[in-house]
Amino acid sequence: MIAGPRWTLRLAAIVLALTATACAPTGANTPPDAVVAPESLTPVALAPAERLQVLATTSIVANVVAAVGGAGIDVTALVPRGVDPHAFEPTPQDVRRVAEAQVMFENGLGLEAFLGDLVHNAGTGAPVISVSAGIDPLPAGAGAEHGAWDPHTWLDPQNVIAWTRTIEASLAALDPQGAADYARNAQNYRVELAALDAEVDAQLAGIPEAQRTLVTDHEEFAYFARRYGFTIIGTVIPAPSAAAEPSAQELAALESAIRTTGVRAVFVSSVVSPALARQVADDTGVQLVTLYAHSLSDPDGPAPSYVEMMRLNARLIAEALSR
Amino acid sequence: MSDVLTWLAEPLHYAFMVRGLLAALIVGIVCPVLGAYVVLRGMAFFGDALAHIILPGVVIAFLLGWPLGIGALITGVLAALGIGALSQHKEIKEDTAMGVIFAGAFALGIALLSTQRSYAVDLSHILFGNLLGVSAGDLWLMGGLAVVVVALVFAFYKEFLVLSFDPVLAVTLRLPVSFLRNLLLVLIAVVIVASLQAVGVTLVLAMLVTPAASAHLLTRRLPGMMMLGATLGAVGAVVGLYLSYYGNVASGPAIVLTETLLFVLVLLFGPRRGLLWRRRAAGL
Amino acid sequence: MAELFTRPAAHDPSAPPLQVDGISLSYDGVTALRDISFNLPAGARVAVVGPNGAGKSTLFKILVGVLKPTRGEVRIYGASPGGHVCIAYVPQRSQVDWAFPVSVADVVMMGRIRTLGLFRWPTLGDWRRVDEALHRVGMLELRQRQIGELSGGQQQRVFLAQALAQGAELVLLDEPLSGLDVPSQEAIFSILDDLRTSGVTTLVATHDLNLAAERFDQILLLNRRLVALGPPASVFTRPLLLEAYGGHMHLVPEGEGVMVLTDSCCDGEEADHE
Repeated sequence: MIAGPRWTLRLAAIVLALTATACAPTGANTPPDAVVAPESLTPVALAPAERLQVLATTSIVANVVAAVGGAGIDVTALVPRGVDPHAFEPTPQDVRRVAEAQVMFENGLGLEAFLGDLVHNAGTGAPVISVSAGIDPLPAGAGAEHGAWDPHTWLDPQNVIAWTRTIEASLAALDPQGAADYARNAQNYRVELAALDAEVDAQLAGIPEAQRTLVTDHEEFAYFARRYGFTIIGTVIPAPSAAAEPSAQELAALESAIRTTGVRAVFVSSVVSPALARQVADDTGVQLVTLYAHSLSDPDGPAPSYVEMMRLNARLIAEALSR
Repeated sequence: MSDVLTWLAEPLHYAFMVRGLLAALIVGIVCPVLGAYVVLRGMAFFGDALAHIILPGVVIAFLLGWPLGIGALITGVLAALGIGALSQHKEIKEDTAMGVIFAGAFALGIALLSTQRSYAVDLSHILFGNLLGVSAGDLWLMGGLAVVVVALVFAFYKEFLVLSFDPVLAVTLRLPVSFLRNLLLVLIAVVIVASLQAVGVTLVLAMLVTPAASAHLLTRRLPGMMMLGATLGAVGAVVGLYLSYYGNVASGPAIVLTETLLFVLVLLFGPRRGLLWRRRAAGL
Repeated sequence: MAELFTRPAAHDPSAPPLQVDGISLSYDGVTALRDISFNLPAGARVAVVGPNGAGKSTLFKILVGVLKPTRGEVRIYGASPGGHVCIAYVPQRSQVDWAFPVSVADVVMMGRIRTLGLFRWPTLGDWRRVDEALHRVGMLELRQRQIGELSGGQQQRVFLAQALAQGAELVLLDEPLSGLDVPSQEAIFSILDDLRTSGVTTLVATHDLNLAAERFDQILLLNRRLVALGPPASVFTRPLLLEAYGGHMHLVPEGEGVMVLTDSCCDGEEADHE
């Protein structure tokens, strides 16, 4: 009748393989061994025209590091634009990139679950800096598996201002000759960020109190909500990572919450498959709006830099909730 | 009593649950109809292989942004006809050939999907189903395919019966054996495609085999086996879905577990052929 | 697919029901059958005998159309077997899936598939024909039984009823008598008598030489080639039997006659290839 142990074994092997890939690898929320504080960095020997080789994890981190580093560094992002960093799977090429970097910048707070093993495999000993260190983090929501903190600090420009200080200190320690340049770049960027903060605030000021509610695809907007006075009603995936699945009851609870509170839109991050969020939006009759929350767009897209990304998000939120 | 009714009605307040229930019902009813042939003709390995061979087709459709059902249908039909042609070849042992293609195609699908760099969730949906994410369009496609399949089984019922029971008789009576055999393989492929959203590539075999196997233990004639299989399939689908809702477990596996439990109950307690029955009859 | 829509080949009433002309079958360097030729008249009842591996099943499969001969021709009522639906093959009981969920009546109705035609379901008239066939073989009371619940003799009779329902004019039976007790064998023979009266030609493959000698008009002695075809008295002679069975046989004188001991047993051992 049934074809015997053959397919049972096969099924077991597939399930095992899938569990192995889908589970966060060991570097989850404990920082990779190589994460250091800027103070403990030692200078890197650089030839006169040589630039510091920097590797950043996400495109957003890379963008901010580039703003501070300017012409003194070569910075690239590990996670390609449009890819979800929560579920990113590195390839052997990425190990090589890590090995060739002289310093790495990560967001930290558990965003880059892939990083610990990657650095371990590269075996370089190059320092890793968490730009979100020193920020007062928010705890992750109740649905988080083993993460203690919500890593999406960059959605509050004030946090990114704090980032620049960490980055500035790190680059200056590694390359003392460029310290003055880094300081100046950082200061200029901080001015830009402060202006951005005010601009976003003004843009969102028009939204009445009753509409200052957010439903997002997963727990990513907590810092934004805290900074600009919004309440998060619920998330489609009740976890800080999109690599999780809601249960039927959780979806049902969310739809009930949307109906009761009269929320107008469901916001979904550009890197995540919107299928489930779209379904919730359709079923409850609200709009589905795509925001840039984990990654910049392509250079000729609507959000090529951090500053433009935040401006875009503010505008889209204001439009959706003011109607 | 009203408590039970509330309890039963609660999930149905949500459109996505109603859609999921309809999808599960379609799968639960149609799979055992084809499943009867799979069980009687010992085609379980073939069915499993076919489901896995469809994976690269689904992934390619996914990466290209096409509807997944189209990719699955095209690949499924091609695979069914290909395996049918292959099994006519004398030198290749059918079992081995299928095993090689099965594993290779499956690996191809996963490799293609991994080029996407973040693929764990999508892969999990394709492998184990995504009943909560069934859209109205999906339901129309599933329903349409189901109607076509059942209609063709009905139309060719006696021909399929002869082909399955006595292949030599089919030749003796000059039935178009090649055409009929290929048609049956294609129908199995279509049923698998229709069921992908509910239970996924890895578990669709269970929906093909388990309710039909339970029915086989309880009936003596083929029409009864198909109808009882469909009933058991439907019951298991509904119970499994409620189980997943109130127990917070993934829906595809919950349905399969329910079907398996039903099979075990039938195996132990079924009249005439159940194990316990036979022991009592033997006076032990 | 076209086969479902072609009409069965027309019978030429002046041609013999079975005309075999120079049939040979070889594969992979093995010769299963070599240059077999014979004709049979309507209503003939022929026992096909020979040692294991003689090609009895292979010959039947060629006659039925499952196998194609490498050389030679088969004609049934003047036309090739391809178009005919009047040939019935009653398989060895070991080849049948008795666990299949079909009743006795279902199996007999299968014989009528071509009469019913595509997309049509059996009518009351068709079930009456089925019941008639069952009655002729004495199985009418058991029509609702699942086939696995039958005894050996009853199982054999179901397939004979199927051949009757099909309206077959040429019936091939593969080892129908093995493992049956005498009353069951008698039941089979009375059906075969019935067939003979209706002008149906039957070929029966059997290992039982004594039964063949007693109950059949003609014996076809086969060992890859046609050793002899004729009445038992002229076929069952010492030289012919030795030629066919070679070392597989002992002739033991007994009283006025001779007892034949062969070492044949088991069914279906001939090379099974398709």
